[in-house]
Amino acid sequence: MAADAPATVSAPPATGSDVGRTVAELDLSRVWLVDPFAGREGAADLVVRGGRVQAVTWLDGPDADGVDPDGVIVAPGFIDLHVHLREPGNEDAETVASGLAAAAHGGFTTVCAMPNTDPALDDPGVLARVRAAAATSGSPVELLLYGAVTMGRDGDRLAALGELADAGVVGFSDDGAPVGSATILRNALMYAGMAGLPIVDHAEDSTATEGAEANDGLVATVLGLRGWPAAAEISAVARDLAILVDVVRDVPAARLHLTHLSTAGALDLVRRAKAAGLPVTCDVTPHHLGLTDEWLAGARRWAWDASGDPWGDGAIESAPYSTTVRVNPPLRAPQDAAAVLTALADGTADALATDHAPHTEVDKAVEFGLAANGISGVETALGVLLAAVDAGRLSLGRAIAALTSGPAIILGGRSRRATGLVEGAPADLVVFDRSDRWTPTAETIRSRGKNSPWLGRPLAGRVLLTVADGRVAYEAPEGDSAQA
Amino acid sequence: MNPAAPDVAREPTATEAAPAIPAVDAAPEPQSIPWRHRHVLDVDVLTADDLDLVMRTTDAMREVLERPIAKVPALRGRNVTILFYEASTRTRVSFEVAAKNLSADVVNIAASTSSVTKGESLVDTIRTVEALGAQMLVMRHSVSGAPYLAAEVFGGSVLNGGDGWHAHPTQALLDLYTMRQELPGGSVEGRKVVILGDVLHSRVARSNIWSLTAAGADVWLCGPSTLLRGFEAWAARGAAASRRFHVTSSIDDALRDADVVMALRIQRERMASGLLPSLREYAARFGLTRQRLAAAKPDALVMHPGPMNEGVEIAPDVAVSAQSRITDQVTNGVAVRMALLYLLAGVAEGRGTVDGR
Amino acid sequence: MTPDEIRRATIRMSHEIVEKQAGTAGLVLIGIQRRGVPLARRIAAGILEHEGVEVPVGALDITFYRDDLSLIAQQPVVKGTELPFDLNGRTVVLVDDVLYTGRTIRAAMDALVDFGRPQAIRLAVLVDRGHRELPIRADHVGKNVPTSREEQVQVQLEETDGTDGVVISRVPEPAVTAEPVG
Repeated sequence: MAADAPATVSAPPATGSDVGRTVAELDLSRVWLVDPFAGREGAADLVVRGGRVQAVTWLDGPDADGVDPDGVIVAPGFIDLHVHLREPGNEDAETVASGLAAAAHGGFTTVCAMPNTDPALDDPGVLARVRAAAATSGSPVELLLYGAVTMGRDGDRLAALGELADAGVVGFSDDGAPVGSATILRNALMYAGMAGLPIVDHAEDSTATEGAEANDGLVATVLGLRGWPAAAEISAVARDLAILVDVVRDVPAARLHLTHLSTAGALDLVRRAKAAGLPVTCDVTPHHLGLTDEWLAGARRWAWDASGDPWGDGAIESAPYSTTVRVNPPLRAPQDAAAVLTALADGTADALATDHAPHTEVDKAVEFGLAANGISGVETALGVLLAAVDAGRLSLGRAIAALTSGPAIILGGRSRRATGLVEGAPADLVVFDRSDRWTPTAETIRSRGKNSPWLGRPLAGRVLLTVADGRVAYEAPEGDSAQA
Repeated sequence: MNPAAPDVAREPTATEAAPAIPAVDAAPEPQSIPWRHRHVLDVDVLTADDLDLVMRTTDAMREVLERPIAKVPALRGRNVTILFYEASTRTRVSFEVAAKNLSADVVNIAASTSSVTKGESLVDTIRTVEALGAQMLVMRHSVSGAPYLAAEVFGGSVLNGGDGWHAHPTQALLDLYTMRQELPGGSVEGRKVVILGDVLHSRVARSNIWSLTAAGADVWLCGPSTLLRGFEAWAARGAAASRRFHVTSSIDDALRDADVVMALRIQRERMASGLLPSLREYAARFGLTRQRLAAAKPDALVMHPGPMNEGVEIAPDVAVSAQSRITDQVTNGVAVRMALLYLLAGVAEGRGTVDGR
Repeated sequence: MTPDEIRRATIRMSHEIVEKQAGTAGLVLIGIQRRGVPLARRIAAGILEHEGVEVPVGALDITFYRDDLSLIAQQPVVKGTELPFDLNGRTVVLVDDVLYTGRTIRAAMDALVDFGRPQAIRLAVLVDRGHRELPIRADHVGKNVPTSREEQVQVQLEETDGTDGVVISRVPEPAVTAEPVG
């Protein structure tokens, strides 16, 4: 291959329904390969045959000339530790099928679904239903499930954690809500520790957040919204960590994972806990990394460009009170978003998890204080991370690691992909073009939930191909880069 | 002088002796300061020119209110629908009177939030109301930000009659108008204006902060610290650096040499949520009594957006004192609302985007 | 029209008004904002000089009576009405600078009716430029100036514009519309 030749992605033309077909032949030449599992990134060729990785050839010297990280990039398929698929119970907002299609569109080949469905995932029968839906969808994206911590997520009685572990859950969570009782949390950590499974806690002191609508700060004050104090997250994390300290004395295999941390204070506590050797991990969301509460006031700038006073520097460009940015935990102040970025960069945050929360128009097209919390974010996560990389706030390597090796480590052996792009293994990869922008719209978003703050705003990194377990999960339509 | 015809018997009128030349002068002035806002949702987007225009139009409406027939046909054939989700007789009636004085057709709906729980969303209600002919919508709602949603959905103009804790633009404008009428010099610039009471939950306070700082007043917020939460950060940041104001729990510092004291209503619910120990304690420490008022300037104006809890945030004798402008606020309220309805009526339907940017 | 012509026309009209009324009894002059007001005052001054009687003068703003709401956005500024006398049974002489389509006068009559019931309403204008769209005619005219619709007639008065004169210019229809920004 001549130097300076462009990257090529060649596969035989598709026949019939694309999704799910085995990738018989795929040649990726002169692409920028980022493989955090191998700890390596650079120019490479990659060959897939019969659904398996046949060869990965790193290019050196003159062969690598002209290949850079600004064009086509290949990475292991992304892993999302936190999505909400609304089946069973709220299929208008999302089904397993539409959620997996959305995930594939976002470059994800593994997603972990939270149990706050209706009925909750507190019983192996419900798990079976969800898994059957995944099988019927024909999507090769791997669907992993969390079991509920308490029966019906009521916070009072432990769910059948052992049975659920046997049924193959990857952890336990009452997400949507915290594990409110300290006793229940302690017992759950100990019990789940027997199976080596983590408790994934949504850390929130609910007594401090009753009726809360927006981060307690300048924006909430000016907009007349009830404040959501940072202290509610920080105190909950402190409590959880204190309980973990007690638990590991008896159950060293116990593990705590804190999800969607949004405050500098909470991330700081985790940093110190890790330094002290506690078995705690955490994840952060793209929206807490990329946005701030300024968006509620109508500003539309990235968190790293925010000043915290959108009225002061003329940053307002949209109407205020957009419910697309009503989320739990709420969007925070610029210094918190900066702490999220730092945590991702220095490894305090092990992974980026989207907290994909699709909602119907009915639940969002209402007054701000009455709107459901959540952002439909699985398709825009890559774009947000790339914006941070483009702004020089994060390295490409760390960004991809946060989507791949980071979550894989947390999942341990429970995912089929823990190794990256290894010759002989089924192909799990994503191909995207960093220089090609795409615009999320009601039409281009595959999720049923169109509640995204990025609607109409172009993002970098259009996904061209997602392959999961050697089969096509998503393929961009031919020849049209203006729409995904 | 030689009258050509016999004198017709004339009714003696007091104006016979009055000067023949009218006081109203056709002085040179700019003919058009265009009004560009399709909605009035908050005062934060109104420029100094906008405020000036509103004040002048309110002057004209005040004159109309003094006529024998206090009515003009400016909005004839226009449908103004008043949609109040919060109980409020005074403001709702004030808007109705304003619209009727402009000869508009008025539909007055006192919805309650139970309509929402019954399943009719705000969006549905507005679409229905529009289908029934509403061209202008006056809305009050208990959730902050609701009028912005309305403005997205409604084809005509939206005038915010108060949303949650967030904004009450017509109140702020009538307060500004009242102050300008009554203060010597006709301006609030440099004047010390104190807003006293439950600032945290007050849309009147927030809107007044925007309008008074824009007009150059020296604004002081005063109340118990629990009810001032978050405002120190606002005051310090500036939220538009030129618009600074003071926040204090010291009623003595606040009232000293004040030109205007505006008392805000304290609600019983504030004790239920633990923000205040008791109304009695509030009245004792922050109530506007004659004694406390003495620290202000001798002719300081006393104002209150109403309705009042006499004996709690304001002493009964202060409410009816010579310094009180509370009834003027009510009259001016009708005039200001007439002015805004008039200005909004001129903006073509369907053009422009939601006010807010 | 030159300043002298304006002066003479004004004086002539002031005589005509008294003549038509057969005296000054019951007369009031009401100028239509803006330039009708100083004109009304000049006429009143003329009457004072040759009859020795002070006829009451008022100012009428017809902004709220226009039949075209889209004008509000362009010209929202309201100049003020002041009628410090009782209209009932009086003879009102409306005074304006230019008579064109007649719509301003119609609006003025609507307004007057809200203030009381005059015995008669008459009209005095400095310039009649033709092109009436309503059945309105002036009782007293300073000068007839035939114009075409593409022309704009502007009266200038010292009190409002610093100088006296009548300017006819050719301008495209209509004035720039103010675009709402939201």
